[in-house]
Amino acid sequence: MNVIEIHDITKDYGNQKGVFDVSFNVRKGEILGFLGPNGAGKTTTIRQLMGFTKPDKGSLTISGMDCFSEAKDIQKNLGYLPGEIAFIDSMTGDSFIRFVANMKGLKDLKRMEELKKMFELNASGKIKKMSKGMKQKIGIVCAFMQDPDILILDEPTSGLDPLMQNKFIELIMEEKQRGKTILMSSHIFEEVERTCDRAAIIKDGRLMAVEDIEKLRSGKSKTVEFRLDSEDSAARLAALVPGALVKKKTVTAKVKGSMDGLLKQASQFTVVDMDVHTASLEELFMHFYGGGSND
Amino acid sequence: MISGTLFKREIRANYILLIIFMGVLTMYSAMIVAMYGPGMGDGLKSMAESMPEIFAAAGMLNVGTTLLEFVVGYLYGILLVAFPGVFIIILANRLVARYVDQGSMAYLLATPNKRTKIAVTQALAMAAGIFVLIAYVAVLIIVVSQIMFPGELDMGKFLLVNVALFGMHLFFGGVCFLASCLFNESRLSYGTGAGIVIASILIQMISQVGDKFENLKYITPLTLFDPRGIIAGDTGALVQCVILYAAGLVMIAAGIVIFKRKDMSV
Repeated sequence: MNVIEIHDITKDYGNQKGVFDVSFNVRKGEILGFLGPNGAGKTTTIRQLMGFTKPDKGSLTISGMDCFSEAKDIQKNLGYLPGEIAFIDSMTGDSFIRFVANMKGLKDLKRMEELKKMFELNASGKIKKMSKGMKQKIGIVCAFMQDPDILILDEPTSGLDPLMQNKFIELIMEEKQRGKTILMSSHIFEEVERTCDRAAIIKDGRLMAVEDIEKLRSGKSKTVEFRLDSEDSAARLAALVPGALVKKKTVTAKVKGSMDGLLKQASQFTVVDMDVHTASLEELFMHFYGGGSND
Repeated sequence: MISGTLFKREIRANYILLIIFMGVLTMYSAMIVAMYGPGMGDGLKSMAESMPEIFAAAGMLNVGTTLLEFVVGYLYGILLVAFPGVFIIILANRLVARYVDQGSMAYLLATPNKRTKIAVTQALAMAAGIFVLIAYVAVLIIVVSQIMFPGELDMGKFLLVNVALFGMHLFFGGVCFLASCLFNESRLSYGTGAGIVIASILIQMISQVGDKFENLKYITPLTLFDPRGIIAGDTGALVQCVILYAAGLVMIAAGIVIFKRKDMSV
């Protein structure tokens, strides 16, 4: 069953900005990653889901309700984390959170306290003086505190340090266990890879694919760099791995799919160091779609 | 129909602004009332005679002899139009356009509240702000008058003048609220609201200087606010007052409808 349905929407801001003929769905209980480089149209799509803007054509529904005209009813069961942090600067973090809770008609603040504890958030200071990460935590608390069934998160981990990013991913997995439906945008594949079931990929306002994460992962290539104990063993390892490059003691190989073969080969030698570079989102697209830009 | 939480938040966010304007108007109002009386009143009059254009522009020429005429002539011609006008320009922008411009409107819209409810709440917060400011000044003038010149102020007519003044500012409120709902950027909302309010006041001032520009009065809505006509018991002045109320309310309603339908860049 689809909880979020986006049907053939176009929102044209001119100059090739906007989204064009985008359609995809988010099924009940799944996490869908909404992937694309900056300016691809992720936020434009999310704004329409939130009922902030209307599409020029096409339709968007959440739980069968129209995203613009029935926004009020949709919001009863939806948590939203905006991509741009814009609170009311003059308030303290706590008073802002409480204000949002009151606006949502939230009585039970237990979940809010749990979330604050989880993210080690002390929000008693003025928002104006807070760091980006602190503000992001406040945004996360606001989005999750009503314990909604549907979550729309626009670049949720931006501004968080790695430790907090991990906490956030834990939170997301926990919410998934509890049957939540989540749409999460990102421009980092790894983040989506770790949490999502499927990914919708958007570029230049056009949807390129909606794929299972497994399939995307298998299409993704990694560059592995081994530093060995001698130039001699480096040359020998390079000879065993097709397409490997050797430079002094370093062997560089590209791997698509399983790592197993390469690692077994390398284990015959003395590996001093190893680095893995994952392909960027752009490179991933290139690989996945056999190179060439989409047109 | 309104959100209590949001209304309370607006009171907390804007009461300092209100107090500042109350303070400024306390000073002017008390000063003018205190000037009434044989000695000081004459002083103002001779000042008016020495620079008639400036006093005419401010509507302070040929002020009558009763306390009511004196107060209305010196305060309700320009001071109580311009200062609350500035207050309204700032307040109306803060209530809608600023939230959209900053992006924090996203948090208000991401709650189970209809857009209409949010806009009605903000309109009501504005109307309440205007009301408190004008009611405060009216009460202050009454109190100062009673202390210094007991029994001299014609209370009924004075209150009626204030009812008309509130209509005048509801009209300004309508203009600024509409601008605030219309634009997604603060600077456009400010520019339009402030532009119309300030132009109205300036055109009225020019139209009051001599006959040459008198016809300009037909292009400023301020002409509809006629406190002297109200004191004189002129029916036309009361009809004009009703027009101001109606136009103000229509513009506020239009602002709410626009807010309900528009695309918001948050």
